[in-house]
Formats: sequence, structure tokens, C-alpha cells
Amino acid sequence: MTDRDKHTKTEQINHGRRDVLRTAAVLGVGAVAAPYLIRTARAQAADLGAYTSAKINWRQAEGEQITVGVIPAGYFDNLVSLSQEFEALTGIKVRFEKIPPGQVRQKAMLDLSSKTGTYATVATDCMYYPLYAVNKWVEPLDTYLNDTSLTDPSWFQYNDIHKAWRDANTVDGKPYAIPYDGEMTVQVYRKDLYDAKGLKPAETLEQFVENAKALHDPSNRLWGAALRGFAGAGQNMYIYPSIFRSYGGNWMSGDKIQVNSKEATDSLDWYVDTLTKYAPQAVRNWNWPDIADAFAQGTLGAYIDAHSSAAVLNNSEKSKVIGKIGFARWPKGPAGKRVTSIWNWGFPINAALSPKAKQATWMFISWAAAAETQARTSWKFAGPVKRSGLNRLSIWKSPEFGKLLDASGYNFGEASLQSLELDTDVDWRPRVPQWPALGEAMATGIQAALVGQKKSKEALDEAQARIDAIMKG
Amino acid sequence: MQTPVAARERRFAIYLFLPAFLVLLVTTTVPLIYLAWTSVNRVDLTSPWIKGFAGADNYSKMLGDPRFWNSLELTVIYTGTTVVLQMLIGLGLALLVLQIPRGQGILRVAAIIPIVLAPVVVGLFWRTLVLAPDFGVLDFVMRALGFGSHDWLGDPNLALASVIVIHTWQWTPFAFLVILASLSSLPPDIFEAARIDRASSVQRFWYITLPLIRPALVIVVIMRMMVALSAFAAIFAATGGGPGSATEILNLYTYRTSFTELNFGYGAALAMVLLAVTLLVSYSMFRLRTAR
Amino acid sequence: MKRSGIATASLLGVAGVFLTLWTFPVLWALLTSFKSERDVLAYPPTLIFTPTLGNYRDVLFGATTILPNLISSFVVATFTTVLTMLLAIPAAYALARLNLPGKRAGGFYILATQMLPPVGLIIPYFLFLQKIGWLDSYKGMTLIYLTFSLPFAIWLLVSYFEDIPREMEEAALIDRAGRMRAFLYVVLPQVRGGIAVTVIFVFLNAWNEFLFAVVLGGNNVRQVTVAMFNFISVEQTLWAKLAAAAIVTMAPVILLGLFAQRHIVKGLTVGAVKGGGRR
Repeated sequence: MTDRDKHTKTEQINHGRRDVLRTAAVLGVGAVAAPYLIRTARAQAADLGAYTSAKINWRQAEGEQITVGVIPAGYFDNLVSLSQEFEALTGIKVRFEKIPPGQVRQKAMLDLSSKTGTYATVATDCMYYPLYAVNKWVEPLDTYLNDTSLTDPSWFQYNDIHKAWRDANTVDGKPYAIPYDGEMTVQVYRKDLYDAKGLKPAETLEQFVENAKALHDPSNRLWGAALRGFAGAGQNMYIYPSIFRSYGGNWMSGDKIQVNSKEATDSLDWYVDTLTKYAPQAVRNWNWPDIADAFAQGTLGAYIDAHSSAAVLNNSEKSKVIGKIGFARWPKGPAGKRVTSIWNWGFPINAALSPKAKQATWMFISWAAAAETQARTSWKFAGPVKRSGLNRLSIWKSPEFGKLLDASGYNFGEASLQSLELDTDVDWRPRVPQWPALGEAMATGIQAALVGQKKSKEALDEAQARIDAIMKG
Repeated sequence: MQTPVAARERRFAIYLFLPAFLVLLVTTTVPLIYLAWTSVNRVDLTSPWIKGFAGADNYSKMLGDPRFWNSLELTVIYTGTTVVLQMLIGLGLALLVLQIPRGQGILRVAAIIPIVLAPVVVGLFWRTLVLAPDFGVLDFVMRALGFGSHDWLGDPNLALASVIVIHTWQWTPFAFLVILASLSSLPPDIFEAARIDRASSVQRFWYITLPLIRPALVIVVIMRMMVALSAFAAIFAATGGGPGSATEILNLYTYRTSFTELNFGYGAALAMVLLAVTLLVSYSMFRLRTAR
Repeated sequence: MKRSGIATASLLGVAGVFLTLWTFPVLWALLTSFKSERDVLAYPPTLIFTPTLGNYRDVLFGATTILPNLISSFVVATFTTVLTMLLAIPAAYALARLNLPGKRAGGFYILATQMLPPVGLIIPYFLFLQKIGWLDSYKGMTLIYLTFSLPFAIWLLVSYFEDIPREMEEAALIDRAGRMRAFLYVVLPQVRGGIAVTVIFVFLNAWNEFLFAVVLGGNNVRQVTVAMFNFISVEQTLWAKLAAAAIVTMAPVILLGLFAQRHIVKGLTVGAVKGGGRR
């Protein structure tokens, strides 16, 4: 029995079971959610008109089977629960694999580097495309976008996808992944407390500190502010670049990466000082869920983090601050600019696939990134979690989505949209193939400074030495 | 001189031993050779344009790598402290428990619990339910006792102490149980004789008990060292090697180099050093064991 | 033996402290697993709350079910145990009791394989399994688990085989019973206890393994030690569910541990107590 036969056999078994259980159980969607998901799946099963209006043959890769790697998160769960619609539309079998977030990159890269094509596509963080592109692990997607048998441009509307996200997934002028979901960082504050003291959401980093100072009252379990401190390329190196850039810092000095400039030290000093003075002590080991939990318990005056954390703040099972939350854009730094994060989960195409499987994968990506699927996983979604990281500007400006956003707190929609449109900065983080190693070296250095193991200058000098060694190879 | 019977026995022995031996050869030795080969090559996924044979480059690079020296130092501290703590507490508690007229059984049962748990689960629940500021039970107890709240895993000094405590918590019962069993198996008449000689309890312990249980103690030390040197999952779950590199023992550094920084060549070299350290330690321990 | 009441009391006190230390974190997890997420976050931690079974319902049957992962863990641990024992028993017997050529070297080799750093071996294992198409499969995971369970089991068994009185075997041989029959019918029954201990330890180690599981597993084979991580750090930490999942994961091994308590202590002490005279 060849490998392929075995796969087919497993698939048949899975398929048989799927017939019995329909969508819910096989896809890992909960028993609680199952009844209405089944209803939704049925109601929408016939409703593929929004897709078939595209002038492409959706069934061109019929019979193919692809494996898609995602992380276990609500925004992917919604997509997974609609996969029957995709199968009905294209005749392609899609098998989702949920990979724990700590392992997803490692697994994707082991698969890509050994070129066996286990995954057709794995949801990927935009900082990894320079590395993937230089290794030729994934396909440049311009050919797919320009081929009218694969893409109907007037239907797919690639340019409707947020520019910052498209740019983040582009290397040397070629897109390597299509964004599915994403986020930007915004300022979150306790509107009730700010109003009571006559405070305004911070316009500058200085004001952010002043506001924190005004509210800071640890003996009554209220800390002025918090920012992610946990070490990691997606943790403290997700917050620090915004501060660094708003201090006027540049990652490149000539063609060399420089991380220990004056701006770098100053911005790290600000980060360290703010957290040391006004944040709970534990913040230096906190990741986004911890910060959101703390804010939801009413112990933080303000924080800056991903807009998607609003979902946790509005979770009635846990939160004590519903209705008391305000949102604003990033404060301006000394250089006078606001810099938000650029982040998206995109889907690339594994270069090790057969041509037919690549075609099938593109069908999947087109479907997942399509405006209709975006809507169906958001406000049209029947389950409790409605996605807020939609990939298209037209949708962000639609009244339906606006209504969803407004429910999350004061000024949420506007602050998020303005951040996305005005505050993104393509040089937010250094986009080089060595990013995995570089981001890690920076993250370790930043945390060493945050916990007081080293002074900012010393920590950055050390990171610089390490980065020089990495870049030299 | 071999009799046919002896030859037959040898053949029979080989047949019995061979399957396990072959499995181990394929699953451990072949990968080890691959690892050794990788360690003398440049295999860095983030710079695929430079690859090939590197000679001793990966090894000489370590000399100037402060994080390597840091991890080596932490490995020594971690292994040393956890083993000493386990031995002292285990021995002390075993001696105490022997004096308890009843209830030994309960303690024996309780001691089983930490040993059977998965280190990764132990690390995870210490991090979230025991040590987390505000939510953790230890933090709550410390505050209630007036010591204030501490960021056990976030403060670089406390973090190292915390992972040492976690390891000690999980594995002291092992030392305790073995030593207790060893003490219980000593013939009681020796102590009787000593008591008649009016030896003090300290003398009895030092001159009679200790030499008798020495072989057991040495074995426990060896086993604990091996486990401490290969410790990974609990630290991985509790701190991931952080904050900064405060709990980054050699195992963690190797993992981060290979899987986060994607430098497989350097990672392989670090793993070889780890192997060398383990072999060296176990060799000297076995020497210690035979040299009486 | 005379001792004052105070001394006895303080002895009991110390023993009580350790009893608490060893059980309390687990009991705390148990307590937390019955709380709602809101109660978990309550400050200061509450001891009085309305207990809920909701976390267990979610963890076992809900959206975040770990039931398939428990099955994976069980299957891998069982396969590993069976295969390990089939290979280790004969090998240990040969090492302990037979005139095996190169016995010393063989013994040392097996001991040395136990010292290989798993972190260094993952990449070769990954590439190897990928080449033969065994990634994310039970056979692949079991094969790799043999790398640590086999040397361990052989060494544990050797010390049991060494304990059997040689006369038993020799009596059987004089009876012209073949070596194989002597092994099967005379020697093996003698080491029943040792085999039971080894089975328990091999099973525990396989159940508890994390590093290989995380890299070499996938959708088909994802053990519970890996699945636990899904309760933290995606969108939020589900503290109470994490506690419930931890309890569910720990329960089988704790039960096994308590049930086989005597065997485990014996397994830990074998060799050590004897003074370990071998090689």
C-alpha cells in the first residue's frame, strides 16, 4: 500500500464518519454549539450564489485533498465550521489540523524545509515570508492572482484587502500569502475612571504615563497601565517596535541592522520605566491573555494591545468592566507619529505540492479570503464568537460590521479602523529572513531589561552582538 | 575451549539480545551519528544560502557565546542544587519518618503523587495555579503571611529558585522513598549493639547508618543527576527558559537555538556538548560508586 | 524507646507539612477545576463558591474536548509498553543470566543510550519518520518511544533477573528442558513482580512524555500532554478548564500510582537497596 493509498483510506473512514456526524463533531466544534451549526450549515448549504458569481471554475481541482494547519482560536474555528460549504463548492476535501500556537511555526518550517508537502498551507505570521521566500518554500502568488482561470479579479477584489497586510505579506514585490485574519494594536482604557478624573485618552506617550500616574493606586488593586512583557517575537517584540518607531528609530543603518541606537535605548527606557512604575509587577511575564484578564477584572487603568482582546473584555462570563471600556489609537511618540502593529494570519501555498494540489489550495485560499466568507465568519456567523479581524476595508466600513464593533466599547470601531488606515508602518519590524532568530534575540534582551537583569543599553548592546553574529551567518 | 552446550547457550543469548539491540541501534545510534554530522555542518534555516561543512566552527563559536556559558552555569547550578536539596530533604525526612510510630503509610502514598505526574503538567500547573501572582495559591499564602506578592517566575532571581523548587518538589519523594526503604531494610540488631555501647544518636548515624546506606545514596544521586541533566518539560512549561535567559539551562538553550532560531547546526553542537557533560558526570559518578 | 510527647508531636508536624506540600498543589488544582472562570479570577482566592461540573463537561465533551487526546495517550502508552516488554525481557535475561558474548559492552551500550539528549535527537527523528511516512502515526510515535523506554526497561529487569536463585534454572536444564522452555516456564514466573513494576514505569513514562509528542505528533496522534497547551495563550487563558484538564490527565497516573504503590516503591528501590553490585 503506498502512502497515498493510506491517506485515501483514512480519508474514506473520516468521510464516512463525517456523513454520520455531519459537520460538528468531526470538526472539533463543541457539542453545545453543534445544533445551530448544523442548522446553519444546512441553511447555507444551498446558498453558494455569492461564490458562483465569480467567473472561475470552482470545481477545477475536484477530488483533491488538502491539509490546512491553523491554530486553535475562535477566528479559525468559525472558518473550520464552514468547511462543508467549501467542499460543496469545490469538491475538494479539506482536513484541518489545529496546531498549538507555540508549535505552529516550528511544525510548518520542519514540513517546508523537508519538502514533503504534509500541509498544503499553514496559517502564517507575516514576519516569516522573507525567510520562506528566500528558501523558495512557498509559491509567489502574483501568478495566481493574475491568472483569470484561477482568479476573477472583479469578484475577488484583492486590493480591497488592507494595504498594510498585503504589503506585510509581500517580498520583493510579490505577494506570498493572502491575509485571512489580523489585528492592530490600540489603546484600551477605563472610560469610567478616566471620565471621573477628567482624563482624556493619551495623545502622546508622555500623557499615557501621566494618565497612568493619575489612576495608579496599587493598594486598592488598581494599576495605572500595562503592556505585554513576556519574552517572544510575538510578545514584547510586538509592543516594543511601535515604541521604537514612534521614537523615530530605524532598524536599518545603511544595510546593517541596528538595534542599539540612541532611539532604541530611549524607547526601551520608556518601556521599562512605565512598566516598573505603573504596572503590576507580574506584567513582565505577561502575555496578552494575562493583560486582558487583569483589565477585565478591573485592575488596570489602561493598556495597549491587539484590538481583538476586546472579545475577552466583553466576555460576560468573566469580565467586570463591560460598558466601562474606551478605545483610542496609539499615543504619539517623541517623533510625532503613532505606530500600530501590523499582524495578519495569511495562507501561503506550499511549493512542494503537486500542481493540482496547488490549484486546490488556491481555491481554498480564495474561498477563505473572499468577502462573503469573511462576513459568514463574522456577523453572519451563528455561533457566539464573531470574528473582528476581517481582512477587507469595504467590510470594515459596512454598517453590519460597524454595529458589531460598536458593541465592544466606546470608540472601538473608529480607533481600530483609523489605526489600520493611518498608523500602520511597513517598517514596523525588520523584515529580513533572519527574523525568527533576530526577533528572539531582541525579545530576550528586552525582557532582560524589563526585569532589571540588565540596563537598557547593556541589553541592547548584547542583542546587537548576537544579531551581528546571526546576520553574518 | 567451548563445549557444544556453551556454544548453544551463546547462540541462544544472542538471539534473545539481538532484537532489542538492533532496535536501539537504529533508533538511537544512527540518529546520534546524524546529530554529530549536523554539528560539524552549517545548517541554518534562516540563512540557507550559506551551508556546507563547517569543521569545528559550531564548537569554537560557543567559546565566545555568553548565552552558552550562562546556560552551562545554570545547568551546573540547577543540577547541583536540586540534587543536594533532594538528598538532604529526602534523607532527613526518611530518618524522621522512621521514628513515627504510625502513619508512615500515608506519607508514602502522598509521596507517590508528584513522582507519577508528567513534568510538563507539573510545570504548567505550578505556573498557573501555584506561582502566578494574584491567582496562585503560593502567592496568596505569602501575602497572607505578610511576605507580600512576588513575581515568582518573572523575576530573574526568583525564577531560577522557582524552577529549582518545582523540580525538588516533584522528585524529592523519589529520594525519600528509596532512602526510607533502604533504612527499613537495615538489620535492627546493629543499632541495638551500638546503643549498648552508648553511642550517641549522631555517632550511630555517622558511623553505622550512613556507611550502610551509602551505596543506596550514591545510586540515588546518580539517578537524580541524570534526571536533572535531562530536565526540560517542566521548565519549558513554567518559564520557557526566561525571563531573559534566567532559567535557560543547556537543554532549553539547545531547544531554543534549534527550534526558535532555526540554527540546526549550532543546536546540534550544543546537544553534543550536553551529551558530553552527561557522560562525563555519569562516568565520574560511577567511578565514585566503585571507589569505596 | 521513650520519647516525649512534644518530640512525637513535632515529628508528626514535620511529616504533616510534607504531606501537605506533596498533595496540596494537586488538591488546589482539583478545587480550581470546580470553579467558574469568574471565581478563579476572584481576589482574594475564594474557598466558598458554587461548584460547577461545567469545566469537566467542556474538557471531556465540549468544544475543547481532550477525550481524543486521552485516547491517543492511552494507545501510545499501551503500544509502547507491550513492544518494550517483548523486546526488553529477553534482552535483560540474556544480559543478566546467559553467557552473552560482549556482555559488558552490550550492557554499557544500553546504559549509554539512556543518556542521549532528547532535544538533540528530535530533528533526526523528525526527518527519519517523515522519510518513511510515519509522522503523526501511532507506529512512528511508538517506535520513537522505544528509544527511551527500552534501555530503561532492560536495566530495571536485569536487576530482577539477577535476583532469581540460579538453582531453579539449572534444575530445569538438568531435566533437559530446552533453554527456551526454562526461560518461559521457570524463569519468567519468578520475575512476575519485576515485570509488573517495569510495565507500570514504562507506561507512566510514555504517558507523561511531552517533547517527542509535540514535534512528532499531529492531528491523528496528539497526546494529552500536548493538548493541555491549548488552554493557554491563544486568545485567553482558561484557568478553570486548564485545571480540569490537568486533573483529568493526572487522574489515571495518580490512580495507577496509588493502586500499585508498593510495586512502585520497589521499582524505585531495586538495585539501590541491594547495594547494586552489578558491573
